[in-house]
Amino acid sequence: MMQFGFQRLVLLGSAGYQRAELPLDDSVSLIAPNNTGKTSLINALQFLLIIDRRRMDFGAHEFDKTRRFYFPNNSAFILLEVSLPQSGTVVLGCVGKGVGHDYEYFAYQGQLVVEDYRLPDGRLVAQPQLIEHLARQDRLVYRYTPTEFAELVYGGRRQRAQGEPDFTVFKLENPSDARAFRQVLTRTLRLDKLNSRDVKEYLLQIFKRDLPDANIDFKQEWDKAFAEVNADRAQYEAAQKQKRRIAELEARYDQLRALRGKLLDWRPRIDQGLADWHVWYEQQKAELSTAEKRLREQERQQTRQDRELTEQRMGHRQHLKELEGKAWEQQQLAEQFTLVTGRGMLEQQAQAIQQALESQITLVNQASSRSAQSIRSEIERNQQELSALERTLANLDDNLYLTLGKHLSDAELQRLNRVLSRGALTLGRDQFQLDPAALRSVLADSNDHQLQLAGLTLQLDELSEQHHQLSRSELQSQLEDLRQRQEALSEQMTAADAMESARARKQQLEQERAAIEADLECFDRLTELAADAAERDAEIQSLNDTLAGIEERLSESEARAEQLRKELYDVQQQQNRLSDKNHRIARVRDARGDDGEPFSYLADLDHQPWLGEPEWSLDDLADRLDEYQRDCRRLLELGSQLHTGLAELHAAGLTKFQFSDDRDTELQRIIRFSHQLDQEFEALEKKARSAVVNVTASLRELRDGLLAFKGKMREFNRLIGHRRLSDLKTFRIEPADEPQLVEAIETLIDTASRVDSGDSFELFNHGSLLDDADLDRAKQRLIEEGNARRGLKVADLFRLVFVVGKVDQPDEEFDDIDSAASNGTVLMAKLVTGLAMLYLMQDKRHPVRTLCYLDEALSLDAHNQRSLIDTASEFGFALIFASPAPLTTARYCVPILSQDGKNHISRQSWQILESLEEEA
Amino acid sequence: MSAASVNLDKLPSLDELFRRFNSGRHLNRVAEPALWVELENNREAYQALFSALGYELRFDERGFAWFHAEEASSNTSKTTRQLALLFMMIFDTQADAGKALLRFDEWRLDAAFLQQLMEQHQSLLEAEGLGEEGLRSLLDAAARFGFARVEAGHWRLLPAVCRYLDHFEALADHHQERAHADPLHDDDEPADEDET
Repeated sequence: MMQFGFQRLVLLGSAGYQRAELPLDDSVSLIAPNNTGKTSLINALQFLLIIDRRRMDFGAHEFDKTRRFYFPNNSAFILLEVSLPQSGTVVLGCVGKGVGHDYEYFAYQGQLVVEDYRLPDGRLVAQPQLIEHLARQDRLVYRYTPTEFAELVYGGRRQRAQGEPDFTVFKLENPSDARAFRQVLTRTLRLDKLNSRDVKEYLLQIFKRDLPDANIDFKQEWDKAFAEVNADRAQYEAAQKQKRRIAELEARYDQLRALRGKLLDWRPRIDQGLADWHVWYEQQKAELSTAEKRLREQERQQTRQDRELTEQRMGHRQHLKELEGKAWEQQQLAEQFTLVTGRGMLEQQAQAIQQALESQITLVNQASSRSAQSIRSEIERNQQELSALERTLANLDDNLYLTLGKHLSDAELQRLNRVLSRGALTLGRDQFQLDPAALRSVLADSNDHQLQLAGLTLQLDELSEQHHQLSRSELQSQLEDLRQRQEALSEQMTAADAMESARARKQQLEQERAAIEADLECFDRLTELAADAAERDAEIQSLNDTLAGIEERLSESEARAEQLRKELYDVQQQQNRLSDKNHRIARVRDARGDDGEPFSYLADLDHQPWLGEPEWSLDDLADRLDEYQRDCRRLLELGSQLHTGLAELHAAGLTKFQFSDDRDTELQRIIRFSHQLDQEFEALEKKARSAVVNVTASLRELRDGLLAFKGKMREFNRLIGHRRLSDLKTFRIEPADEPQLVEAIETLIDTASRVDSGDSFELFNHGSLLDDADLDRAKQRLIEEGNARRGLKVADLFRLVFVVGKVDQPDEEFDDIDSAASNGTVLMAKLVTGLAMLYLMQDKRHPVRTLCYLDEALSLDAHNQRSLIDTASEFGFALIFASPAPLTTARYCVPILSQDGKNHISRQSWQILESLEEEA
Repeated sequence: MSAASVNLDKLPSLDELFRRFNSGRHLNRVAEPALWVELENNREAYQALFSALGYELRFDERGFAWFHAEEASSNTSKTTRQLALLFMMIFDTQADAGKALLRFDEWRLDAAFLQQLMEQHQSLLEAEGLGEEGLRSLLDAAARFGFARVEAGHWRLLPAVCRYLDHFEALADHHQERAHADPLHDDDEPADEDET
């Protein structure tokens, strides 16, 4: 039975072959000495199977050279006959275009018949005529660009032209694997160095659908998972720390709400009050004014009344004094006349005194009427006269007058006589000195009517003569008269003295009579007073009563006056207050504290209803207004304090509610938050738990990916370990964990599962969790690794090692299979690995046998060759061994012949080997 | 890929990597993930470039890389010898304590550990003239070469130390032949077969 798959490879005029036909439907031993184009032949397939020139690999040769080698002219062909389940036998071809050694792709349905490409003259058809030429052979040829061709071969082509056959050779499980498939195919075709990293890359590609395609940025996951927890925790801690401040703010906020309610309630009252105030004020003012007038009138009346009373009191007091004086007089008189029994006694005394007086008067009237005093004066004058006369008499003969008379004229004497006294003129001789000449000259200086003394001039006309010169006898007679007179006078004098005492007696008696008359008078007075006494006492009593009444009224009046003053004072005070209120109201009316920001929309703000406020009287308006103003200020103040408080809370880190619609909402939330800290704590704990669990969810995904990959690798190892390779007891490709990372992940997952299940986890006691050094190291390692790789993938968690175990030796791990074993073994291992990978990628429902190629095949013994052929066949590959000598294990032995410098493989030289048993 | 195709613009950390490797330091994936990833992604380019400069950049898939020198310079030989001694003592001590040698990254090499190590290898340390200070500076040197790293108050071994560990295990395999020639080798049994 013919298997679907590659049937033949034909090169015409390419790669130094004039013509080469190679069977591909079974294992082939390609025989030629070294360097005779075995590899070139196989590499030619890259044009048809790899297609993308970047992916093709021709060893050290540059691509341009390679192209010239394969497509020297426009009659160079690389042709592949493939039998496809869906389209039967098809030919895929690549033909040189000549110019620039370029080439193009084509395909058609039908057998690959080399003769189809020959012109009648035996030459090969040229590229420009190819389609037309083949059309004549009933071959409907489709041309393709490399891209189209690649899509064609790997089944990625979206749409086909009508009637265009399906040329898909490699049906893959997933068309997206085409790239990997081609890479592996290249490697497998050439079996270059195959190291663990390449294998890992391919296997990851192959298994990618079974692995999470997660590329986990662990740091981001961690931060994301814990961002909220940490943020919430910061908020919680900030609130916890700021509890006291929040409580203060709450108290203020309550005040604010209450105040808002109050102001809302008061505002209309204030407005109404202000509207009513003026009328009320005027009315009150008038009432108070009336009251004041009335009180002042009362006060005046009171004063008048008081004055009257005072006057009355004065009158009464005077009268009383008089009466009391009389009483006292009566008492004095009564004392005086204690011993007097009656008026008669006094009258008797008066009579006796009258009689004595009358007799005395008689006695005195009989005596001289000349008084003793005048008599005594006369006696003295007589005596003086007597003395003068006696002196005159003594000097009668020789006195100054006489002397002057002797020396002076009469006129001159006369003038002196008028001036000098009698006494002087009668001075005796021894009593004066006289210079008559000098005297005369002085006298001559003045006329007869004058006397001029030194400094004094006297007019003499009015003066009389002082001295008249008498005779002795005359003098003696005069003396005698005088002496007699003197005696008479002495007698009279004695009589006069007796008269004096009589008169004194009379005077005494007169006094006595007066006294007794006075006594009588007094006694009469006493009698009179005594008669009035009872009436007077009554009057005194009455007066005292009256006075007491007046005093009482006066004192009452004082109290009343005091009362009035007080009332007046009160009224004035009221007036003052009223006026003061009016002023205050007037002042406030124009400067109300409730205009502006928060007051205009106070009702919309959160507030506490103000209840139970009674109606106010307008009297209280001013006070209320003041209070209202104060409250308004207080409201603003509270607002600003709350604002500051909030800012402080923000500064302290409590920013959770910062973006609330308004401050009130934020405050309410903060307050509520502060009341619910215990619940917050629990919520935080829950969040932290789930954060730990969440953060490890991604890690679980990675770990599960790793486990899944390991499972896939076990399958893969079963695939490649199916047959023993050479002398290898063991050949496996194993994922080896990157221990640091895998352990870090395990550490975190373990912790999370403990957290998830355990009750012991307490967020804020979990210093142990976040501060755990191992955990932190694990986390840090994942973060660093993730940062370096821009995310963690399953691929980062392991590397692949080739585990090779030779018989009788322990298994060994190798990163590079080339160093693991002998050359042939390595070749086998690589081939098996590559084939297994290609097999995994292929769609098993669409088995198309392809080929693989093994150079230097002689290094394998026959057993291994056979084993390889079988293994390849199982994976859907026909194996081509290249060697200088034929290998009998292959189905075909195909020698490369050389003729005229051109290589040549003819169908006729194919040798088909069949085992004898099989034949039998 | 040939050296000619190396695009230096795509090797932004070339300078740092070269300086690091050229000073004998190892690059550990665990310790320097970013540098490692760059090296890993451009492995061929780096290898080709360094090779062209006459250096052999070696990778160990266990997660470290270094410049391989066939002949240790006499200059570094003393340090490497002492480092070998140090690591040998560390592995020996831990093996005695029943710890899995391949899990060396979990060990905290702290003061207590150093004390333990000194007690167990007193004679060896005396012969080498190493006290606790000497050990510490040796560990610092190990950190400098990328065999260990300093963490808060202690050291931790890095995968590059596998080079020594591999060597010790090879030595153990050839104990009989090499015992007489290796001054670092005493009569203790080296690390047993490890788990994997």
